[in-house]
Amino acid sequence: MADRLLDYSGLKCPYPILKLSAQYPNFKKGEIIEVIGDCPTFEKDIIAWCNRLRKTILHIEKQGYKMKVKIRI
Amino acid sequence: MAGNLCPHGGFFECNNIFCEYGQKLSEILHSCSNVIEKLAKGDTSDKIEIKVKRYDIQRLIDSINNLSRSLEDLIDLNHELAIGICEHFDVLRRIQEGDFLAKASEDSPIEIVRMLGELINRQRDRFLDYINKIQQQHKEILELYTQEREILSNIGVAIMISEEDMTLEFVNEEFERLTGYSKKEVEGKMKWAEFFAEEMLNQMQQYHKLMRIHPSLAPRQYESKIKHRSGRKIDVLINVGMIPYTNKSVASLIDISERKKIQQQIIHYQKMESLGSLSGKIVHEFKNILSGIHGFSSILLSKIEDENLKVHVKRILEITERAKSLAEKILIFSRKEEAKEAQNVNLNKYLLNFSEFIKTFIGSEIILKLEIPEKEIFYKIEESHLEAILMNLFTNAKDAMPEGGEITLGLKEVCVDMEYSYTHPLVKPGKYVVLCLKDTGIGMDENTKERIFEPFFTTKPKGKGTGLGLSTVYGLIKNYEGHIHVYSELGKGTTFKIYLPKESRDCLPIDKQSLIGNETILVVDDDPHIRQYLISFLKGFGYKVYEGKDGKEAIEIYRKNRHEIDLCLIDLVMPGLGGIEVMRQIKNINPEAKIIIMSGHPLDLKDIVSVEKSCLPEEILLKIRTQFI
Repeated sequence: MADRLLDYSGLKCPYPILKLSAQYPNFKKGEIIEVIGDCPTFEKDIIAWCNRLRKTILHIEKQGYKMKVKIRI
Repeated sequence: MAGNLCPHGGFFECNNIFCEYGQKLSEILHSCSNVIEKLAKGDTSDKIEIKVKRYDIQRLIDSINNLSRSLEDLIDLNHELAIGICEHFDVLRRIQEGDFLAKASEDSPIEIVRMLGELINRQRDRFLDYINKIQQQHKEILELYTQEREILSNIGVAIMISEEDMTLEFVNEEFERLTGYSKKEVEGKMKWAEFFAEEMLNQMQQYHKLMRIHPSLAPRQYESKIKHRSGRKIDVLINVGMIPYTNKSVASLIDISERKKIQQQIIHYQKMESLGSLSGKIVHEFKNILSGIHGFSSILLSKIEDENLKVHVKRILEITERAKSLAEKILIFSRKEEAKEAQNVNLNKYLLNFSEFIKTFIGSEIILKLEIPEKEIFYKIEESHLEAILMNLFTNAKDAMPEGGEITLGLKEVCVDMEYSYTHPLVKPGKYVVLCLKDTGIGMDENTKERIFEPFFTTKPKGKGTGLGLSTVYGLIKNYEGHIHVYSELGKGTTFKIYLPKESRDCLPIDKQSLIGNETILVVDDDPHIRQYLISFLKGFGYKVYEGKDGKEAIEIYRKNRHEIDLCLIDLVMPGLGGIEVMRQIKNINPEAKIIIMSGHPLDLKDIVSVEKSCLPEEILLKIRTQFI
């Protein structure tokens, strides 16, 4: 169960990761967030974001067009 | 298909659903639509792989594929920019939160993102340097602060730092000791004015006002009185200074109560010395006059025959005797009494016998307690002097307890060390016999205590006291180079402590062999008896002697025999040339001449060796020998 749910469906990349970065200062260390996106490059973006900012991806799930990614902050 | 036209009139107008041209074109358009739809969603993964010979169709396919690749590049650039911004944003945020381990990546394919990363890292490094410098300075300031506080704490004088409104910001341990208040009670809570005696406050506030307005006009130090928690007032010397760049002041407080006490002791001692000297001179003249009155009255008594007149002359003689007796007492105070033979007295036995005798004098309402040690203490003193000292002290103690009380008479031997001597500068270090007399009487106030040893000072009713009792005691004790201390509180009683030095009276006998000499001495004294007395014991110890009856003759003898005479023993007071002038003239003849000045009283003249005439011959000889060491 994630501590926060961030739904970026309908937003074109790279808006989802820009929004995620802007909201990031409000997160607590160790918190688990779930990010949802439906942009075709969402998966690629979110993985790159996690690698560059050294965050751990816990789970990736594809549901039709939508992609759900669980991240530990 | 190229080169083969639709057999039904061209595929745009052909209605034959089985036309192979039409079917091919439809397939191409369908593929194009799929790719364009995906591009619209930002998906550049698909490309049209169909190849046709017809130019316009193939151009369309190539254009769509080119659009897809351009869009792909644009999206990649866009994503790299976004990721770079996100990453640098995160690094800046972490630095802002104090995480100086955060470091931006400098490997972005986009130049401006890479440069932004490098800029962030350089700024971070400069910021880190700056912080390290500040931390180092902070550490140094902290060390300096700790050192200063440590210095202030252990400087040995009380320190207080006060704010402009007089609140004490800091006080040290010495301040705690001086006032009896702890730092916790004082710092930030009390004002300095609360620690000073009311009568000093106005003067101090005026001083601090002047210090702020005209610092150059305010003296750096001044004396005041501080209040201890117990209410006791302590004399202090205050040193005040302003702390630069603040409105705070720092003050040191030195406890000068002991110093003041010592000053008072010295002033008192000097006053008594002056009084002794003055009274001695007056009594000396007075005694000469009395001798005249007594002598002529005696002659008159022997000449007249009228018995009625004889009664008057006898009365004159009686009064003269009383006056002579009074003069003798004053002479004791001024220490000009002739020295008599002192005996080695067993003080323990003497005090026990004296206590038996004194019990009848003090009466049954006064209890006498004795604190006499088992160890026998001997002291070389004239018993009559001891008796006079004790009688006078007991008389005063008895008078101080009209309704009875308790007197404690104590005896002990003490060793006065350098520390005690420092606080009582008139008492030299060494062994002392201490006689102590304590009463539980009415006590004395400070003014009385100041004056009790002055001749003719008395608090007793007229006719009851002469005012010479304690001055006699003082003079006698000084004769033995001793000291008397008095402690008294109104309503609580008085204690007299007499310190008699042991070394000078009780020391081992001088080895007479060591006093023998073969030098030649010139003895100069106008008194033939004293001169002969000196010559006889000098000759007895092996010395050759020249004698001079006055200063003039002495100088002549010296001039003629200067190479033979080793030392001159010269009287201070002589008619004509005095001892000092004779000494000066002999020194003119021979600057290396050894000279000892003899006087009736102790002398303390700079660069002059002197000896008292009243000293034992051995002491005079010892002084002579020390000149030849």
